[in-house]
Amino acid sequence: MSDKPARAIKLNVLNEPKDSYTGGKSSLCPGCGHDQISNVIISAAWENGIEPHRVAKMSGIGCSSKTPAYYLGQSHGFNTVHGRMPSVTTGAYAINKDLLYIGVSGDGDSASIGIGQLIHAIRRNMDMVYIVENNGVYGLTKGQYSATADIGSKKKKGEPNKTQPIDLCALAINLGCTFVARSFSGSKKQLGSLLKAAMSHKGFALIDVISPCVTFNNNDESMRSYGYVKENEITLHMTDYIPHFNPVEEIEVPEGHFRDIELHDGSTIRLETISAEHDPGSAVAALTALHEAEASQKHVTGLLYFDNTKPSLAEDLGLVDTPLVDVPNEVLRPNRETLDKINAALHS
Amino acid sequence: METIANDFTINIATANGTGSQSANLILLQSLFEMGVPVSGKNMFPSNISGLPTWYIVRLSDNGYQAPGNRTHIQVLLNPATWDEDLASLEPGSVVIWNENAKMEMNREDVVSYPIPMSALARKINPKIAKLVTNIIYVGVLAELLGIDQEELEAAVAKQFKGKATAIELNITALGLGRDYFKDNLSKNDPYVVEKRVIEKPQFFIEGNEAVALGCLFGGVQMLAWYPITPSSSLAEGIINYIPQLRTDDDGNATCAVIQAEDELAAAGMVLGAGWAGGRGMTATSGPGISLMQEFIGLGYFAEIPSVFWDVNRVGPSTGLPTRTQQSDISMLYEGSHGDTQHIVLIPGTVEECFEFGWKAFDYSERYQTPVFGLSDLDLGMNRWACEGFEYPDQAMDRGKVVREREVFEAFEEFGRYLDVDGDGIPYRTLPGSGMDPILYRGTGHNPKGVYSEKPDDYFELMQRLKRKIDGARDDLPAPILREEDECEIGIIYLGSMENTIQEIDDILEATGIKVSQCRVRALPLHSGVEDFIRRHEMTIVLEINRDGQMYGILRKELPNDLITKLRSVAYSDGVPPRAGIYAKLILETLKEGDI
Repeated sequence: MSDKPARAIKLNVLNEPKDSYTGGKSSLCPGCGHDQISNVIISAAWENGIEPHRVAKMSGIGCSSKTPAYYLGQSHGFNTVHGRMPSVTTGAYAINKDLLYIGVSGDGDSASIGIGQLIHAIRRNMDMVYIVENNGVYGLTKGQYSATADIGSKKKKGEPNKTQPIDLCALAINLGCTFVARSFSGSKKQLGSLLKAAMSHKGFALIDVISPCVTFNNNDESMRSYGYVKENEITLHMTDYIPHFNPVEEIEVPEGHFRDIELHDGSTIRLETISAEHDPGSAVAALTALHEAEASQKHVTGLLYFDNTKPSLAEDLGLVDTPLVDVPNEVLRPNRETLDKINAALHS
Repeated sequence: METIANDFTINIATANGTGSQSANLILLQSLFEMGVPVSGKNMFPSNISGLPTWYIVRLSDNGYQAPGNRTHIQVLLNPATWDEDLASLEPGSVVIWNENAKMEMNREDVVSYPIPMSALARKINPKIAKLVTNIIYVGVLAELLGIDQEELEAAVAKQFKGKATAIELNITALGLGRDYFKDNLSKNDPYVVEKRVIEKPQFFIEGNEAVALGCLFGGVQMLAWYPITPSSSLAEGIINYIPQLRTDDDGNATCAVIQAEDELAAAGMVLGAGWAGGRGMTATSGPGISLMQEFIGLGYFAEIPSVFWDVNRVGPSTGLPTRTQQSDISMLYEGSHGDTQHIVLIPGTVEECFEFGWKAFDYSERYQTPVFGLSDLDLGMNRWACEGFEYPDQAMDRGKVVREREVFEAFEEFGRYLDVDGDGIPYRTLPGSGMDPILYRGTGHNPKGVYSEKPDDYFELMQRLKRKIDGARDDLPAPILREEDECEIGIIYLGSMENTIQEIDDILEATGIKVSQCRVRALPLHSGVEDFIRRHEMTIVLEINRDGQMYGILRKELPNDLITKLRSVAYSDGVPPRAGIYAKLILETLKEGDI
């Protein structure tokens, strides 16, 4: 027996240790950006005081879509089919709108086979956090370019990419997505703030995370390698997240200019200006930032666009307040007299 | 002249989008209200306006509901099909034709009633003459056949509920048709309508609407759908009844409706709903089921309750989108890649459409697997007589779902895919419950739901799934048997063939052949089907397709000694089954078999 006193375990607002938010051991390549993102998901959920069993972990198929096994082990999850995670999430959401849906997808999943489902989930403004772990290549099938590969970028093997990439953030902004952010798996603090803000948002929150593939696309000629992204990242603003259970007064106010955005659950995301101020309420400003970055072969990160004025899918569906999963059978099945009335009306 | 009462077929040839459907339904409804056993078949094109449409009205005191084997009265309005329609008539047929169509009446061997339909219609209102023309022929038929004016007017009122101007206009037009015939022509044919006593009051309803009602009484909680003929009216039926059946006083519903971006998404939503613990469904047709195959396999393998209604149309590919067939049987039963086997419910009447509508959810949650309803365009989109729907006689079965912590704790060992009861059906917990949180997956898994590629895990899982679905056989709707004493020949059939089988049976009996009948109502096959085959020397499997899909399933599943007893009679041309064609094919098959 050790005579050293046990170290106090740090607990969150729910008195839960961080261990309550971890998952199984990753089987991804050592150094994979996706594992960093999994760690940020664990921290964000813990720090935000999310009840772990109230999360639904959703994914499609691919390296990224395997990761729900590696975080939030107390949550149910569904590793669905390639590119179709949004539709499965939509159905689950219709039945239980009170869960926090965290979807993880890859660039193959989201920008190719499943782009239609992503687009329509955005259109419906379904309440979910949708993380794209974007590395520009298909990993599980051993390194083919994906539809987000940058022009001129060259992966470990083969020719440089010549095909126009799909910028998922630009796409989302044009579709009226209500929360659009880009980050980098290596930027733990920024990604953490954005992710926590996305969890506090009502509506569809897209976070496109550049997440290097260490095996097939981490060479110097790749525009999605750790080295390249670190050298060529344009950060729109410093991001801080202030949870609703932590009053703003207690937070140190930064020097210089900043902008606070209040989120649906009363939390705040604070954007501190670095050089020029970015207005996340302006789709034009966001698209300009994306186009300028692309033209100079850079990656722009931060909260690109935010809109809290649109109704989310739950409001559009016109359902009872109780999540449908909890509506009792006797309410779901109309009574005998109702059928008698239907029969009588058909007879008349 | 001797009269022929209530035993003839009227064929009405018009163009799509001219309002002929309203006129035809008024005709059908008024005959129905007179107690005349009548059926209507809408042979419509995949088009909004302009292409040829035929509406076939069969009057039959015998209760035959199939389109007749020939036309007795032809109504001719459409110049596009005029010559063809005219040429196909048997001598002595009656032709009521639009004199203003600028077409020739070149048959001398028919009874001809020329009517200036367009001119009469213009008298009422030149602007809508085209629409009114249709109701004129209903007036002519009423006078010719002796249809009650009272019933006609009631049918008009039903068709144009509350629209006073439309009702008045149509009644005037009916009168013009009636009067023109009375004043200018005299009856020269044997066909008449005779009122019959209505013993049990009935109403007309389409199969799709009956399924929709059944689903709502089955507690459907989410409908995800993508429009496709001939299933759209099933989904729209649900949507139309939600305010009345599933909405509270504040206007909030207990059933979500999502129009999906495609059938793949619709299937994904249905699985998502089932995964979350709800009753999700979609309605589609063959092309939609083709697109849903990947998800169907996921539903089978991950064991997710989900309900899919397939209103079968003619395939393959886009096929004949507005014609009927029973050709999705194999695709539903063994849908998706890999070894699969699914529960399929096959209604043959509108009463069963309602019943299987609610039962599908119970089966799906009981067996934790996709369940299909297989209807077809004929059953789904045509109107059928119904005495009324019966309230579900069983409480909703939500299956083996562990909702309470104490129940969960009482399990000695819990695993999402652990066969605790030996029936192949495991227990499940729901997302949000915190109990046994697992990552559902379409990849191989062990009884705990954890990823596994171990040979034993895969083999045992596939064996259990087989045991689970096979175990459903005698729990599913049993076949309907009509057996003759010491009869050597049996006929197995399914679905909407129910509406033709009696006429086929009568034709066979007229040639001295007696047959027993067995209507299959579900897959996997009930043990009663095998017993039926065993009791007969030879069994014909009768179906509306080319390849004999049900015959194929029987051949695969029956013991060897029974396989040799089977014969296939499969035929499809897109038209609802006509008794004469199938009877002839059965007789040929019996001849080959030396029986």
